[in-house]
Amino acid sequence: MGDLSILVREEGPVSVVEPKGFINAHTVRQFECALEEVVQKERYAILLNCRHLSYISSAGLGAIMGLIETVRDRGGDIQLCNLQENVYAIFDTLGFTQLYKVHPEEPEALQSFLGPS
Amino acid sequence: MRAVVEQSEFRLVIPSQTRYLNLVTGLAKRAALVSGLDDPTAAKVSIAVDEAVTNVIMHAYGGADDKSVELEIRFTGLALEIHIWHTGHGIRQDQVHLPDPKEYVKHPRKGGLGLLLMSRFMDEVRFEDNADRSECCMIKKLA
Repeated sequence: MGDLSILVREEGPVSVVEPKGFINAHTVRQFECALEEVVQKERYAILLNCRHLSYISSAGLGAIMGLIETVRDRGGDIQLCNLQENVYAIFDTLGFTQLYKVHPEEPEALQSFLGPS
Repeated sequence: MRAVVEQSEFRLVIPSQTRYLNLVTGLAKRAALVSGLDDPTAAKVSIAVDEAVTNVIMHAYGGADDKSVELEIRFTGLALEIHIWHTGHGIRQDQVHLPDPKEYVKHPRKGGLGLLLMSRFMDEVRFEDNADRSECCMIKKLA
């Protein structure tokens, strides 16, 4: 119960964080650690690919909120892609789609970090 | 066509541990589907239940893992009712202050979003703080 696995990979200057499973109060520390590790490596272009994320609660949103200022202060950003319907509903309901760039697929998201070609 | 669900109710008591969140959210989602709600709405019901039970574990019980949380799911024919009881530090309805999402977006900070999700995803959310135990009641209308 409450399982979460997180894959982190580098796509050029972008760190792609790919959570699989559920992010709730039980698993959020694992998610926070993965994000903090990326930031500690001074990689501030972070893409959350949510294709395997079936659920995120406010605890998970808090983890993202807790890092966004640090990341943006250093010229980076946290963006999202491949949100499932219920995950998108959470972000949208809270107005977070105004705070974070949301892309349908990863290639567009990576391009957004790199700027216009 | 919506399945007709007889008026009924069932209860579940879990330890006050976050490891059981997936169990209760899965149950809430199944109950919502059985009551006739569609899949996206059932997912929202399960999220509201996650937030409510998390609030009990983390705030009402202050993270103590040796308490219990009682859930009752009622099918009334008109609505799905979810009652959550605990014996920790409760809140009264007049103590509930929902953050304004527009202000939240302007001034991002950590925390404070659980109640907002509950209120947005359910039709009614009520709190009662009684001497012996406190309750959070959430209602999703079927119509």
